[in-house]
Parts: sequence; structure tokens; C-alpha cells
Amino acid sequence: MIIAKLDFLYRAGLDQETLDIWIEEEWLVPAGTGTELAFSEADLARVQLIRDLTDGLGVNGEGVGVILHLLDQMHGLRFAMAGLLESARGKDGSRV
Amino acid sequence: MKDPYEILGLARTASPDDIRKAYRRLAKKLHPDLNPGNKESEERFKDAALAHELLSDPDKRKRFDAGEIDASGTEKVRQRYYKDYAAEAPGGSPYDNRSGYADFAGSDDLFAELFRQQAQQARRAPGADLRYRLAIDFLDAVNGASKRLTLPDGGTLDVSIPAGIAEGQTLRLRGKGVPSGGEGEAGDALVEISITPHRFYTRLGDDIHLDLPVTLTEAVLGARVKAPTPSGPVMLAVPKGSNTDTVLRLKGKGVARRGGHGDELVTLKVMLPSEANPELEAFLSTWAPGPSYDPRREMQP
Repeated sequence: MIIAKLDFLYRAGLDQETLDIWIEEEWLVPAGTGTELAFSEADLARVQLIRDLTDGLGVNGEGVGVILHLLDQMHGLRFAMAGLLESARGKDGSRV
Repeated sequence: MKDPYEILGLARTASPDDIRKAYRRLAKKLHPDLNPGNKESEERFKDAALAHELLSDPDKRKRFDAGEIDASGTEKVRQRYYKDYAAEAPGGSPYDNRSGYADFAGSDDLFAELFRQQAQQARRAPGADLRYRLAIDFLDAVNGASKRLTLPDGGTLDVSIPAGIAEGQTLRLRGKGVPSGGEGEAGDALVEISITPHRFYTRLGDDIHLDLPVTLTEAVLGARVKAPTPSGPVMLAVPKGSNTDTVLRLKGKGVARRGGHGDELVTLKVMLPSEANPELEAFLSTWAPGPSYDPRREMQP
């Protein structure tokens, strides 16, 4: 489901200014450009994560960027790991 | 549901500041996005978040301490975390980052080969699916229609709706989702259908139900009346002596289904004239229907 910008701001409880900063910091990378930005459910969940980090855990702005960057790498690694396990197990689930 | 003080490891006398600190200490360890793949920490985080929500609200805390609400009185559970999305669409996601193992693929052994295959697979990974919701008219759902969705990015998507589609059904449009980040195929567009109710039809399975008002004369003497159906009006024979709640079946006038159509079930509603009618009154004052005419018979004690 593509979420248009206004809808996204409303559902995420964000204001335009904060959104601009977050996009600038690459905490959020929406599809599209300029006024035609398109967001996803994953972006909404990411906003919630950023909120948890700042409001819930007391992480400051610099820390959020570091954490998100590491998390993105970790998901890349988890994906690679899952793929490796799959190939190591072979198609029929048995080990090579 | 466990005791919220116990979950946060606090005494009943804890100050708001103690509560916040205890919650943060746990949350840093347990937050599901910081522990993807660990179900247990997700459960424990949920408990901690609920406990914190309860105890950080002075009013709720007071009521809990007084025993007025139980520990689960605040349930507002979050359904999905970011990790769930990140795991779902690797390759298609702009956040996908593979630099964490790029160096592994550089050497010349079996594992390096596997990592290279991985990277290739990721390039060929299909794009993500996009989900949309489309509200259509009742009659379009019954008869089928062709609709054009306007997308948030200004593009359009033509959706052909098959006759007989049901509420909540999802149509898959191949290749209309997000293009692959690499060389893979585009994802699909998934369009969930919701159907707006009709003024006078209701649908139960493949059958369509309709309340059809008839006049007193039509009910008593019988008549042929025009009845609407989704495929256009038909003449319906109202048998002599019909009554309110008499149900007449129009075969094959319902919703399309495998190998045919459902039926339309017409429930008659006898309507008296809305204005006073002296002749009807004059007739009824002289009319004696006999002792068997007692519509409230079944309500007698």
C-alpha cells in the first residue's frame, strides 16, 4: 500500500519540518521525489522505531542515525545468513 | 498477566523517575527491533511496555494500586515492528544494506562463492508488492466492472473486477508493484476490495435479499409487479393471498458463482396507503374476518 505524504504525516503523527529533517538524515528514504513522495507501511513502522529510540530509550539524534545504520546492516546480514542456511541445507531440506 | 512492579523489578513505592529508568533499562535490552529473531525478548518487551504504560500514568497507577483495574487493563498492543518489514522485503527495500558482509565475498573459497550467489540473488530479487484498497459499489461487485485506481504518485492502475467478487477479496495484478532494485521482476499490486452497501439489496453468500413493498390490493388479490434485480427489473408474480414476510425466489438473479448464479430472495412488505382512506375505513368497519384471524395468537400467555 503506497501512502501519500499527507496521509503519512497524519498516521505517523509527524510534522512536515521533522519529516524533512529525517529524510535529509536518511532515517527515512521514501520513494518518489519532491512533492510526490510515496511512503510504505515499513516507513510507518520505522517512524515508530525512531520514536521508541528517542522517547522510549532516551537515544539522542546522533545515536539514532548510528543505530539505524547498524540495524540496516544487521538486516542485510540476517538476509544473507538465511540465504546461506538455505543453500547449505539444499532444496529438499537435507544437508549437502 | 504478571504484576507490573514485578516485571519492572520495582518496589510499590518506586518514584516516577525509578519507573522510567527501570523501563529504559529493560527496553534497551529487549526492544524487538534490537533483537530481531528473538521471540522471547519480544514477549518480555511487550510485558515491560504494558507495565510501563500502566505505571507511568499516575491515574492508572493509583487505580491499579487500589485494585480497581487489573494489570491487563491497558492493552494497546503494537502488532508489527520494523524488523517484520525489514525481513519481508530485502532487495526491494531502500534500507537494504549489504556492506556488512561485502568483504566476505572477496576471497576464493566455498563461502565466498555462496556470498556472491547471495548478492546475485539479491539483484534478481523481485520488487516488493504494493497493497491498495478499493471501495466499489454493490452493483459493480455483483455484475463486474472495470475501475481505474489513481495512485498517490499520480499514476493510474486499471483493475478489472470479476462479477461476484466478495467483500475483503484481494485481486493480484502481476508486475504492477515496486520494480526490482536489481534485475528481478517487478512485484505485484494487491488490491483489497471493499463493497459499499446498497440502498435496498443485501447479500448473503451468493443470494441477494430484497424487501419489496406491495400494496394491500396486490397482496390480497395477487398481481404482477416490477421487481428490481442487479441485472435489471423483472416482472414478479405476487400470488393471491400473499402477506408481509412472504418470500419469493427469483432463480438465477443472485450473484455469479462457479457454474451459475445464486438467487434473489424477495421478501414482501404489505404497505397500507399513507393517507387516510375513507372507503377502506368504511369497508373495514363492516368487515368481520372471523375468529381465526389473530396475528398475536402466538404471544398469548
